[in-house]
Amino acid sequence: MSLLELDGVHAYYGDSHILEGVDLSVEDGEVVALVGRNGVGKTTTLRSILQLTPPREGEIRFREASLVGLETHEVAQQGVGWIPEDRRIFSQLTVEENLRAAIPGSDGVSDGLALAFDSFPILEERRRQEAGTLSGGQQQMLAIARGLVGENDLLLVDEPSEGLAPQIVADVAEALSEASEDATMLLVEQNLPLALDLADRFYIVDNGRVVDTGDADAVSADDERFRRYLSA
Amino acid sequence: MILETLADFLTVSELGSVLVEGLAKSALYVMIASGLTLIFGLMGVLNFAHGSLTMVGAYLGGLVMVLTVSQSTGLVGRLGLFFVAIVLVFGALTLLGGAIETTIIRPLYDRPPIYQILLTFGLTLVVDEVVRIVLGLYGMQPLSDWQAALATKPQLLREPAALGPIEVRWLSVFEILLGVLTVAAIWAFLTRTRYGLYIRAGSEDTEMASALGIDVRQVFTVVFALGIGLAGAAGTLLMWDVAWGASVPLAAETLLPAFIVVIVGGLGTFRGTVVASLVVGMTDSTMTWWFQNYVTFTGLPELMLFLVLVVTLIVRPQGLFGVEEVGGH
Repeated sequence: MSLLELDGVHAYYGDSHILEGVDLSVEDGEVVALVGRNGVGKTTTLRSILQLTPPREGEIRFREASLVGLETHEVAQQGVGWIPEDRRIFSQLTVEENLRAAIPGSDGVSDGLALAFDSFPILEERRRQEAGTLSGGQQQMLAIARGLVGENDLLLVDEPSEGLAPQIVADVAEALSEASEDATMLLVEQNLPLALDLADRFYIVDNGRVVDTGDADAVSADDERFRRYLSA
Repeated sequence: MILETLADFLTVSELGSVLVEGLAKSALYVMIASGLTLIFGLMGVLNFAHGSLTMVGAYLGGLVMVLTVSQSTGLVGRLGLFFVAIVLVFGALTLLGGAIETTIIRPLYDRPPIYQILLTFGLTLVVDEVVRIVLGLYGMQPLSDWQAALATKPQLLREPAALGPIEVRWLSVFEILLGVLTVAAIWAFLTRTRYGLYIRAGSEDTEMASALGIDVRQVFTVVFALGIGLAGAAGTLLMWDVAWGASVPLAAETLLPAFIVVIVGGLGTFRGTVVASLVVGMTDSTMTWWFQNYVTFTGLPELMLFLVLVVTLIVRPQGLFGVEEVGGH
């Protein structure tokens, strides 16, 4: 049985029908990439899993239990973490406080902080600094670290390389690659080579539904299917 | 004439007295406004009932004091009972705040902010009227200060204190101490406890906080309850100050400066509220001195508070420490 299953998920923003029956699954230990053009529903898929944009139809199961109808914090408490688009760090909290907010309970604080600082030593140097004063790359590292310390079984990672300089993208890719050794991920990423490099499998999303799928190792970024669905 | 008045103002005794009175007013303002700013900062709810609940706190605190203090109760006894009254009122108003949030505020979170404004404004009318009815049942005058409650104040707090050449009221010193204690307690709660961390995280981004597993709705209830508890505790202190006193008009008298402080500081930031309380308190104290000694126009010091508000909104519309957007659900 899959760790995560989406079955015919429909979601709306107001009257706009964004997801038109998304079906996908993620197995334990996998990294699965969701690729597609802007505005086809990739981020909404992640938001629907978290019940931030609750689906109006369809089923979402995590470890065989339905997530539909739960509150977002209840989904998170089941072990679903989120590294959102635009980072969404708490800018007025310090680096350490951002991490503490993501660690469930008080017992695991020192282990959680150690994990984050091992992965991103720069964050330890800046641990007392207000997160809003970090550079864009450091904020992205903090957003990823916040996802890692949450003791999550599944990480929903949304556009981790967006808006970053190439060198920073390489650092972020390395961090995600290391994290993927221990974590299951559903990754939304516009940078196709990066997505295929990190992922075991991919789904192509177009107009609110999955239109193709395959093994990441078996394709290259210039595959005809990607040209058809990802070119502007 | 103005130069002579300025020379008077700049003497150690006058300047010191204005400074201490300004700090006392700042202490009162920070106590009144901190509950309001905590609630708006996290929840995005402008609680128009805040002043009315401060007024309820003044009456409840007065009730505890009137029931427990006798003529023979000395300074220590009265101060001890006052702190008991503050704790009891804080507890009672915290419970009331929790009940208000869960029963009538929570169902409106998914509606536009105007619903919460209308609801809390309506709550103000209801609370004020209920207090009037209860006072009427006991033959008490709702528009004037409750003298029996004022009479429970220890004799020392009615007397002037000499701090070197500076003459101030002992009550002002007492208010400053309570203000400092309140700020320290709130600061410690927000920065040293896990719940405080959740509140600050939720104040910035409720959606992200939820996605980290924080039950933001529960945090909303706790913050609303504590905010109302703080309003009640502030009311208990105001009950002893002849400039305020326990009366039904106290609701409006406290709501206006509370909103000025919260807006000048930046909606929803506690640090801003503390600094704005100092700015507004000092302005109030300085202007009161000037309009008592240079121009006799007793209503003008209050108008100056609105001038501070207008200047802030022109120069820095988000307030001294405000961010563009806070709170929400």
